[in-house]
Amino acid sequence: MFRAVTLYYKLGRVLRMRMEGAKEATVAGIREVLMYMAPCLRRTLEKMGEVLQELEEIRLRAGQPLQVETGLASTLVTPEGLFTDRKERALRVAEEDILRCLQLMGENSLYTLEEELKEGFITLPGGHRVGLAGECLAENGRLVRVKRVTALNLRIAREAIGSSRPVLPFLVAGERPLRVMIISPPQAGKTTLLRDIVRSFSNGEGVPAPVKVGLVDERGEIAGCFRGVPQLDVGIRTDVLSGCPKQDGILLLLRSMSPQVIATDEIGRPADLRVIEEVLNAGVGFIVTAHAWDTQDLSLRPVLREIWLQGLVEKVIILSRRYGSGTLEGIWDGKTKKALPVKPVRLGVEN
Amino acid sequence: MKLAGALLIILASTAAGWLWGLMLRKRRKNLADLRRLLQWLETEIGYNLLPLREAFFRISQRLQGEVSLFATAFIRFLDGPEGLTAGEAWQKTIESCREKLVLAAPDWMILEDLGCNLGTTDREHQLKAIREGIERIEIQETAAEERAAKNEKLYRYLGMAAGTLTVLLFY
Repeated sequence: MFRAVTLYYKLGRVLRMRMEGAKEATVAGIREVLMYMAPCLRRTLEKMGEVLQELEEIRLRAGQPLQVETGLASTLVTPEGLFTDRKERALRVAEEDILRCLQLMGENSLYTLEEELKEGFITLPGGHRVGLAGECLAENGRLVRVKRVTALNLRIAREAIGSSRPVLPFLVAGERPLRVMIISPPQAGKTTLLRDIVRSFSNGEGVPAPVKVGLVDERGEIAGCFRGVPQLDVGIRTDVLSGCPKQDGILLLLRSMSPQVIATDEIGRPADLRVIEEVLNAGVGFIVTAHAWDTQDLSLRPVLREIWLQGLVEKVIILSRRYGSGTLEGIWDGKTKKALPVKPVRLGVEN
Repeated sequence: MKLAGALLIILASTAAGWLWGLMLRKRRKNLADLRRLLQWLETEIGYNLLPLREAFFRISQRLQGEVSLFATAFIRFLDGPEGLTAGEAWQKTIESCREKLVLAAPDWMILEDLGCNLGTTDREHQLKAIREGIERIEIQETAAEERAAKNEKLYRYLGMAAGTLTVLLFY
């Protein structure tokens, strides 16, 4: 009970700060997501009112309580739309509800989701990503598809217009866009920040001159493309390759679209290193994201370590969840390996 | 007065026979349209990989008559605020169109069977179910054609004959 009250208090505080900042188009995002929920779950979530705007994830597991994650906590939800930490009070999600959600996500046509069931995630219009788990079908030791989905994790994409403003001055040298890597633990706002940097570079906002950006959106989360057209604002000079493998996509863009900056999400495989070298040879700036807690953690990961130690990146932005998702922890210089004088701040709220 | 009554009886029974014949013809047409609907659906799913809503929208633009109404009713139920699954929307469409389409009980059964897995399986199984539906409709179509060829005129004459007989009996 005490936890629930504390949570409400904290959420109220963050909510007020958000409203003062008023830069995030989350309400529309939440409404979009609710359309894909089974009616009984939708009704419950709608009862949550303003708190809905704070949701980052909605987790559904067959036979388990409805769980939501905000920037501050993970909690269960009662049928009345209230937070609880007692599972017997929470709304229990039936397998039927999950199937219904899945059908709504696939526009009642699961055959259109064959590729997604193979990959284990669905990207909804608006860039919201739905992770899938359940019983899998494998052939010759390889995953064919998730054949019976019993768990869904709905990650709500946020568009934090202007959130990159405090970091933009560090990302250019004169008019030249630098090679930048954004690192953070999961759910700390890497993709949201990347999207806003891309938008700012592309529109020429907060940078000396606009640049052409080539965006390889392998999972469709950055631009939230629906039938190839970005649903989220990634700027007017951005060419998007949606659903394209990073390596192929980057080379394709370099060959065909003459970008001045290449942007992509979640690097870390050995092949990514080779592609980054290609970008470097082409004399093009890049902005990439990766999973790591800090520069020490970066040094422990084989591929990221190479990128960091070889000085392939000129700036490293570190995010955390200290004050909620999107907290800027620091900016490091890739050559001197020293932190720049930046105070921790929650992007998109205080600025 | 008697003559007028007799004429009315003959006219009414002739019209009933004629209508019965018309129903046979209409069922044949409805079955042919339904077959066409399923054939187009097979193409839209098999080659274009369109979701059901979009596939049915395209089909409803091409079709005419009652079966087109069936397609638009299905889209309406899919778009409804209740968040119906494709199977539920299909079932509701069947219920709402029972009065509009001239079909026999086995024809409705084919449609009901088709709705059971609509949109819930992979492409291969969807196409298999649609092809099976087409084959079953074709069988019904052939039977309906034979029946119409045999009975259409018969019903018309029978209607008139029944009316005349009734008049003769009571005159």
